[in-house]
Amino acid sequence: MSDPGLQWRATLKRRIVIAATVMAAWVAVIEGRLVYLQLFRHTDLTARAARQQSWTRTTPAKRGDILDRRGHLLATSVDVDSIYAVPAEIDNDQEAATKLCQALADCSRREKEALAERFKNQRLFAYVRRHVSPDEARRVTALNLNGVGFIKESRRFYPNKELAAHVLGYVGVDGEGLEGLEATYDGQIRGKPGTVLIHTDARRHAFSRFERPPTAGSTIELTIDEYLQHVAERELQAGIAAHRAEGGSAIIMNPRSGEILAMANAPTFNPNAYRDGQPAGRRNRAVQDLYEPGSTFKVVTASAAIEEKVMPITTMIDTAPGFIRIGNSIVDEYQGHNYGVLSFRDVLIRSSNVGAIKIGFRVGVDRLSRFVSLYGFGRRVSPDFPAESSGIVWKPEQWTERALASVSMGYQIAVTPLQVAAAYSAIANGGDYIEPRILRAVYKDGRRFAVTPKVVGSAISKETAATLIGIMEDVVAAPKGTATRARIPGYTVAGKTGTASKLIDGRYSASENNVSFAGFVPSRDPAIAIVVVIDAPHSGGRAGGVVAAPIFKRIAENALRYLGVPPTIDPVPPVLVDRRDAESVPASAASSSEPIVNLVSDVPPGTVPDLHGMSAREAIRRLGTLGWTAQLAGDGFVTSQDPLPGSTLEPGGVCRLVLSRQILPGERPGGQP
Amino acid sequence: MEPFEYAIKKDVRNNPIVREVDQTRQRELWRAACLAGFLVIVLLFSAWQHFELLRHGYQIEELNRELAAEEETGRQLRLEIDTLRSPKRIEALALERLRLVAPSSDEAVVLERVQPAEPPAKSVVARRE
Repeated sequence: MSDPGLQWRATLKRRIVIAATVMAAWVAVIEGRLVYLQLFRHTDLTARAARQQSWTRTTPAKRGDILDRRGHLLATSVDVDSIYAVPAEIDNDQEAATKLCQALADCSRREKEALAERFKNQRLFAYVRRHVSPDEARRVTALNLNGVGFIKESRRFYPNKELAAHVLGYVGVDGEGLEGLEATYDGQIRGKPGTVLIHTDARRHAFSRFERPPTAGSTIELTIDEYLQHVAERELQAGIAAHRAEGGSAIIMNPRSGEILAMANAPTFNPNAYRDGQPAGRRNRAVQDLYEPGSTFKVVTASAAIEEKVMPITTMIDTAPGFIRIGNSIVDEYQGHNYGVLSFRDVLIRSSNVGAIKIGFRVGVDRLSRFVSLYGFGRRVSPDFPAESSGIVWKPEQWTERALASVSMGYQIAVTPLQVAAAYSAIANGGDYIEPRILRAVYKDGRRFAVTPKVVGSAISKETAATLIGIMEDVVAAPKGTATRARIPGYTVAGKTGTASKLIDGRYSASENNVSFAGFVPSRDPAIAIVVVIDAPHSGGRAGGVVAAPIFKRIAENALRYLGVPPTIDPVPPVLVDRRDAESVPASAASSSEPIVNLVSDVPPGTVPDLHGMSAREAIRRLGTLGWTAQLAGDGFVTSQDPLPGSTLEPGGVCRLVLSRQILPGERPGGQP
Repeated sequence: MEPFEYAIKKDVRNNPIVREVDQTRQRELWRAACLAGFLVIVLLFSAWQHFELLRHGYQIEELNRELAAEEETGRQLRLEIDTLRSPKRIEALALERLRLVAPSSDEAVVLERVQPAEPPAKSVVARRE
C-alpha cells in the first residue's frame, strides 16, 4: 500500500502541472494573439484607431474685411448655418423633403424634387441648403428630423448692400472672390486655412487638440469714402431716372493723389444676393465699358496744340459754314450750329467740332497720338482693376485724315470713364499723371501697409495745364459755355462737356448718345475731379451740358461741403485760430501742420498714427483697427499721445491719450471734417 | 505479552523562548513597504496628473468654443452696427421719418481756419548801463 502522505503530493503536483500547462497555453494564446495584432495587423489597426480617436479638420481662414478710408465696414464675413442631411438616416425621403421645403423660404417645387432626388441618390452627406437665415434654421430645428443637421460656414456680408457693389464685387458660396476687389485681392483677403488634430474619447468628445492655426486674411482699406460713394450713387441714380437713361457711371477722384473717392455705376445690384440681379447690372461700367468720349476729348487735342506750340490760343479759327468736308464725308457742328470765326479758346468753350478738327490737323497724327498715350488712353491705367478695358486707340500709322479728324473731336477712339478721370486729374494737378488707385492700405498681422501714390509721368507742362484750366473754367463760367449747368455758387469749376452718338450695329445712332461731363473743383486748387458719363438719355435733353453737368454739380456741391473745402469766389473771411504757445504744445503735436482736409494721411507702415485733433471715438476706432488699446485722460479732442506718432507699432499695445476741449489749429489729420 | 504501552508526558515549556527579531529582515520589510508605498503614490500621482490633463483638455476645448462664439458674436454685432448706420438708411430716416431736409448751399457755410503769421523771433534789447 502506497503511502497516503506521498499520494496527495503526487496528486497536487499533477494538478499544478495541468494548471500550469493550461495557464501557459492561455498565456501563449494571448501572447500569440498580441503578437499577431501588434506585428501583423499593426498598420491596419493603428489607422483604425487613429480614425476613431483622432479627427483632423481643416479650419477655414477668416476672410479679411474691406474698409473704406475712414474705417467703415464695406464687407465682412460671419458664420451662418448650413443645413445638411445624412440620407441613410432619413426614413422617408419624400416626406423629409416636403417638410424641409416648407420650413425654408423661397423653396420651389423644383427645389423640393431636387432635394428628394439628392436624398435618394446620396447616402452619406447631402447639403439641404447653404447659408440659411437664423429664422430658417429655427424652423428646420423645430422639425426635429432624423438625419438632418447644421454646420457653421462663413458667409460674406455687405452691410451697405448696393453701395460700391461694382467695386467690391462678390464672393461665391465657397468663399472665393468672384468679381471686383474680392476677386482682385482674393489671395490676400482669403488667408490660408489651418488644420486641427482633435483627440476624442469614446463618446467623441474632444479633450485635446494639436492645431496649425489658419492665417487670417488681410483686411484691406480702400480709398473709397462711404459717404461720397453714397452721394455719387444717389445723384447718378437720380440723373438717370430723370433722363430715362440706360445707365451711367460717376467717378470722384482726388487729383493730387490719384485716390478714387467714389466709383458709382448704374444699374446696380446687391452683392448679398448677386444671383438675383441681371449680369449687365453687375458690370463695372466705370472701368469696363468703352465709349467714344466726344467733346471731353477736345481737351487732349487742345493740350497737344498748346504744349507743342502749334498755334497760340489767340489764333482765330474759321468754323463757317458749320461743317467741314473730309474726303467723301462731312462733319458738322452739334445741332447744325454755325459759329463762324472762333478763337482757340472759344473752340473749346463752344465745343466746335469744326474748330477742333482744324486744330487737330495742325497738331498732326504723330503729336496727337503721343498725347493720347501720355494721357493714358489705350492702356490699363490702374492695377486695382484686372477687368479694366484698355480702350481702343489706333496705331499712328493707321490714322487716316478722317481718323485724325475724328480723334480730334473725340470719335474713333474708345475710352473708359476711369481713363478720362485720370486724364483730367493730370490737368488738375499741373500735368503730373498719377496712377488711379483704389487700394489705400493693407492690414496684415496687426500692421498697416499703406499704398503710396505713383506718378507715372508728366502729361503736360504746368504752363499748359494752367492755360487749359483757364479755358475749361470758361466752359463752365462763360455765358456761351456748354457747361453752365455745372456752375457751383462760390466755387470756380473747370470742366468740359461731351456728347457723342452711340455706335449701334456699326452705324452712329441719330437718337442714342453717350453724354458726359468731366471737371474738377475748385479749379485753381482742386480737391476733387469728377467724371459723369450717362448712357443713352431719352428725355430732358441729350447733351452732356444738360444731362451730365447738373449731376456733376450736385455731386460736387455735396462733396465740397462734406470735405470742408472753403469757397473760392467771395469766400467768407477765414476764422483766425489761436496759435499755440510753443511751450504749451505737446512735443508730439509740435510738428503738426496738416491742412483742414487731409485726404492723404498715411503713416509709414508699422508706426503709430498721428491722432491729434481726433475725437476720443475716432482715436479709439483708429487704434482699434491697428489692434491697440486706448487709455484716455480728460475729454474733448486728442491733444497729446504716447507713444508719439511715427513710433514703432507693436501689436496689442496701449496708447495713452490726453484729451482737451480746447480745439487747436491744424489738429485734424484724419478726422471727420 | 501485552505490548508495552507507555507515554512520556513531557511538559515542554517554551515560553521562555523568545523569538529573536531579525533586524535585517525587518529593515528589508520596511524598505519594501516604503518602496511599494512610493510606487503606489507615484502611480496615483501619475493617474491624477493624467486625469487632470484630460479635465483641463475638456475645459480648454470648452473655452475655445466659447471664445470662438464670442468673437463671432462680436463680428455679427459689428456687422449689425454698420448695417444700421448705412448712409442710405440714415438719409432715408432723416428725410422720411424726421422730415429733415438737406441744407442748401446758402445754409451751409464752410469756414476756413487759418493761423496768424509767425511772430518775430525774440529780440534782446540792450540795457542802458
